[in-house]
Amino acid sequence: MHAHFTQEEQERLARSSVLLVGAGGLGSPVAYQLAAAGVGRIGLCDMDRVDVSNLQRQVLHTTFDAGRLKVESAADKLRALNPNVVVETHPVAITRENAMDLISGYDLVMAGADNFATRYLVNDACVMLGKPVVHGAVFRWDGQISVFDPKSGGPCYRCLYPSPPPPGAVPSCAVAGVIGVLPGVVGSMMAMEALKLLSGRGSTLTNRLLLCSTLTMDFTEVQVQRNPDCPVCGDHPTVTELIDYEAFCGGVGQ
Amino acid sequence: MTLTEEQIRRYSRHIILPEVGGRGQKRIMEASVLLAGLGGAGSAAALYLAAAGVGRIVLWDPAPVTEADLTSAIAHTRDRLGQSRAASAAEPLRAINPEVEVIVEESEERAAARLNADWVVLLSTEPWQPLHDQALKQGARVVACGAHGTGGAVTLFQPGGPCLACLDANYLHTAGLYGEEAGEAPLAAAAGVIGLMAAAEVIKLILGKGISLAGRLLTYDGWNAAVCEHKLEGRGNCPVCGA
Repeated sequence: MHAHFTQEEQERLARSSVLLVGAGGLGSPVAYQLAAAGVGRIGLCDMDRVDVSNLQRQVLHTTFDAGRLKVESAADKLRALNPNVVVETHPVAITRENAMDLISGYDLVMAGADNFATRYLVNDACVMLGKPVVHGAVFRWDGQISVFDPKSGGPCYRCLYPSPPPPGAVPSCAVAGVIGVLPGVVGSMMAMEALKLLSGRGSTLTNRLLLCSTLTMDFTEVQVQRNPDCPVCGDHPTVTELIDYEAFCGGVGQ
Repeated sequence: MTLTEEQIRRYSRHIILPEVGGRGQKRIMEASVLLAGLGGAGSAAALYLAAAGVGRIVLWDPAPVTEADLTSAIAHTRDRLGQSRAASAAEPLRAINPEVEVIVEESEERAAARLNADWVVLLSTEPWQPLHDQALKQGARVVACGAHGTGGAVTLFQPGGPCLACLDANYLHTAGLYGEEAGEAPLAAAAGVIGLMAAAEVIKLILGKGISLAGRLLTYDGWNAAVCEHKLEGRGNCPVCGA
């Protein structure tokens, strides 16, 4: 099948908008590649500033950006690549108070958060707003990618992971480490999924979870299903408004 | 070489990985990589190899940066249109990591003459055969990748084989393993998948960890989000890789 989007698909991309939750490891390739593809409007939500320890993998940022807001550093790079893209910066933490407002301004959310509270928050808000989510996660040498789009019959993040792991059971990147190239692989695949969702062309990872190990270069696909009893996207949802996700996940920064 | 405090901070996410550690990070910092081709896949790989701290990165790609490159490649910018792709890519590499020695090589012959068993080559541009043959004869390993449209292919050629010279050229071409400019220009996302798989392979070869892509061809089909592995076997009696 030919690569290039038809003119109609390309125009659809130009009219579309994407919110990146996180402008770091996964956000770096995603932002660059969506801008290169001509996505019309890219929102960057990240309250962090560039730290030297980010530079081993977060290629949106350079050594000279250390100390700057990540969203501002990122916006500079995207505009240099494609000045036609509208870049919107949100240098805030996404919270239960602002999530619905932030997300409702975009067609699609790229979820590459580094903590579970944000993952559940973004998931629940997107289900409630009917927005598709491209999911990516990295750990040491391993990654996973999927598309959560309950409106098209697929599962949401909670269908796969009904409850968060106990606090401290899954160490963060800072504690566990991550090979620098891994978010590049996972983020690039996420960007491709977004382009398919926005253009309406191709077969996305809805109902499929792609697992990869860069240490062995093994890629495995797992079928995943919507859970009719899911508290958020199920037939009889019990979570109908955003909750306290810090409490749900057992504390801040665990 | 002892890691400085600044280096320990910069590479901390690597150093705490059991497969890397301080010793592995030093290997990365002492490694030499030649990137032949800085289109979509090559330039994405280059950014990450510089970020990872590869000590010496030699860039060879005399083709000028064009408008098409800006939809395929993330290392080039509009204000560098017309520069050679190697010179353009060198700028963000140096900015991401000033510790890396970035060398823009204008002659393919001079680039090839540098190679020995300590080098890894990331090959993404045509013509492949001369550089590939010379690299293997000098003991270097070659990660070859081709990104086209919304997909592509990647594998490893090394002394002991199999290699480009003893594999079925038609088979490789059908799978998508050929230089980027010989096919449809890739989307940056697809080039990223292929280029970063290749970069992951380079890092593993430097570390001597994991299972390599020797004899394994990985293909990515972006329209279907499908990654497939194909086993590669050479014809034997290969004058280039010795398999």
